[in-house]
Amino acid sequence: MSNSVISVISRFLEEYTTTTPNKLKVVDAYLLYILLTGALQFLYCLLVGTFPFNSFLSGFIACVGSFILGVCLRIQINPQNKGEFLSVSPERAFADFLFAHTVLHLVVMNFIG
Amino acid sequence: MDRCGLFGLFILSLALSGAQAVTPAHHLSLSDVARLQNLLSQQFTDLESAYYSVVGLKKLGAVIYDHKEVCQFLKSQLDPTSVDSLFFAAEASQAISGCEIPVSNETRDILLAAVSEDSTMTQIHRAVSALSSLGLPLASQEVVGALTARINKEDNVMAITLALQTAARLSQQAEFGGILEEIEDLTARLDDLGGIYLQFEEGLEATAMFVTAAYSLSDHVDIEPPLKEDQVIQLVNSIFSKKSWDSLAEAFSVASAAAALSNNHFHVPVVVSAQGPATVSHSQPTLQLLVTDVMSQPLASANVLVESAYAVASKSIILSQAPFTLNDGVFELNFMSSQPASGYYQFTVAVTGDNRLVANHVELKVKVSTEVAVTNMDLSVVDKDQSIGTKTTRVDYPSKAKSSFTADSHQNFAMSFQLVDVNTGVELSPHQTFVRLHNQKTGQEVVFVAEPDNKNLYKFELDTAERKSEFDSISGTYSLYLIVGDATLENPILWNVADVVLKFVDEDAPATIQAKTLYVPKPEIQHLFREPEKKPPTVVSNAFTALVLSPFLLLLILWFKLGANISNFSFSPSSILFHVGHAAMLGLMYVYWTHLNMFQTLKYLTIIGGVTFLAGNRMLAQKAVKRTEKK
Repeated sequence: MSNSVISVISRFLEEYTTTTPNKLKVVDAYLLYILLTGALQFLYCLLVGTFPFNSFLSGFIACVGSFILGVCLRIQINPQNKGEFLSVSPERAFADFLFAHTVLHLVVMNFIG
Repeated sequence: MDRCGLFGLFILSLALSGAQAVTPAHHLSLSDVARLQNLLSQQFTDLESAYYSVVGLKKLGAVIYDHKEVCQFLKSQLDPTSVDSLFFAAEASQAISGCEIPVSNETRDILLAAVSEDSTMTQIHRAVSALSSLGLPLASQEVVGALTARINKEDNVMAITLALQTAARLSQQAEFGGILEEIEDLTARLDDLGGIYLQFEEGLEATAMFVTAAYSLSDHVDIEPPLKEDQVIQLVNSIFSKKSWDSLAEAFSVASAAAALSNNHFHVPVVVSAQGPATVSHSQPTLQLLVTDVMSQPLASANVLVESAYAVASKSIILSQAPFTLNDGVFELNFMSSQPASGYYQFTVAVTGDNRLVANHVELKVKVSTEVAVTNMDLSVVDKDQSIGTKTTRVDYPSKAKSSFTADSHQNFAMSFQLVDVNTGVELSPHQTFVRLHNQKTGQEVVFVAEPDNKNLYKFELDTAERKSEFDSISGTYSLYLIVGDATLENPILWNVADVVLKFVDEDAPATIQAKTLYVPKPEIQHLFREPEKKPPTVVSNAFTALVLSPFLLLLILWFKLGANISNFSFSPSSILFHVGHAAMLGLMYVYWTHLNMFQTLKYLTIIGGVTFLAGNRMLAQKAVKRTEKK
């Protein structure tokens, strides 16, 4: 059982490193960073308590929101998906990404307290 | 069929409403009349106030002093060219004897000229009254014509009232028909307040002057005014409810109305009231009534009669058609001679002797009070199991039992007595029959009610074991009091009958008696402010802050490994502007967190965002071009 899991994972990693373009890997690294930050915040909340609950929420929502927007950007700039996003150029995707982030930051800053 | 029923119902309701006729709620008592006279007797400074004072006092039947001085004053203040001045002087001079106002031809002409359609109603009234008081001739028909024309033009209450007053000064041969109808029209304009008051919305003066004018004209033409009895009484209530008057004119109007209602030919309202409280007893067996007119003047020729008197409790009729006797201005009836039982009685009194009398059926509630005596007071201590015979001690009022009674938990203390009317020997059942036990040492008192059985014998039983909670189980000597009281008793009783020693089983009485402290200050409430939540120690927070920031390092490392770089950075103005703008936006976020509010932030954001957007648009477009070029 574990054997097959390990082999699946190693196969996946191999395919990933070879087939994914660099640009997407950059975005993936960013997504990983966001993920870790959010997970660590959640861990703090579990261990120590929810004392400034609004701050925890805003931080966590920032991470979640950023992750989602990052995923959207990744989908939109992936050349393999070009067929589905004919009207959206990578530049347009990036501009959308920036605008959505502005709104997200506004909300997060409002709530952080 | 149902038409008949409806008609019957209508007649019935009429009959019922007639049965509950209104009686005067207000009138001028002797002190009110004195106050009114005082107000009218004040020193007058001009002709108008002289008129109100002199004529008003005359109407109240008061004595006016210094006729000569008043006459001098009138003559000196008179302005023979003014209709008003002539009116005040002429009317006032008529009220005092031996005062003649000099009249010249010019005076007469001025007055006659004022009687026309073009003068105001007040002018016509004053001119006609002056002409009449000074004994000058006037053409009544012309006056009637002028009045009728004026009524059409000035349709208000005061003007029509003045028209009525003026018509009363004309000769009896004149055609009064149209003017007489105005009385009925004005009556329709009165406002009914709760069925008790009837008045004009213009106020007291208008109502009082209307009454005066209506009766003065009706007397003059000898035709009864179209006012119903209830309306007359409601007018009386409105006019005499105010006991202090704001102006001489108002006082004058009230005095005129009082005079009009006391001696006109048609309606004289009667005021019947008891002298002192309406109570009779053996010491005071006569019921005394004052029967007067609205000015508290006794009615000379009245016969007062009790139509019926019945007991409120039992509805049995005690008296029927019993006359009152007039004794020194007061009507008396010896009610105790009919030997009524104590209690309340409803009297219906009728005043006859003059068919002008209005509201001459009055309902009166009379109380008959008596004295009570306590008889056959027997006290005993009874064993609960009835094995030991009871020893009854008789106590006579007002002495106290010689020995005290002891009752412990196996015994009951019992008391029985009777309450009788001293004068008639009839058994009474007063409202309050209480037995009070008072502990001398601790100051406690417990009150019980003694109730009569069906033979009117009052009984009270104290079960020591059952009642120990009322006494807080405190044993000791208690003084026993009997309290008897009622509204119809003249001698309420508070009698210390005996001392009772009560022994309770459990000595679980509190060591010290705490008086029921209801009204002492309560303990102060300290406000607890919301405590801030427990914060984790700073070490933990700092450690986690570092931990949360660590993935950023990881990100930089990964990017470095991937070979992400900024080598493709084009130093075009739009891209520089874009990056600067973007950095500014992030800086704005920080400033928002620390200093600003949402509105300010949005304001700055639109400015910076607008610039950034334009620059970014340009920059990305350039990038896109570059990308497609490369492809």
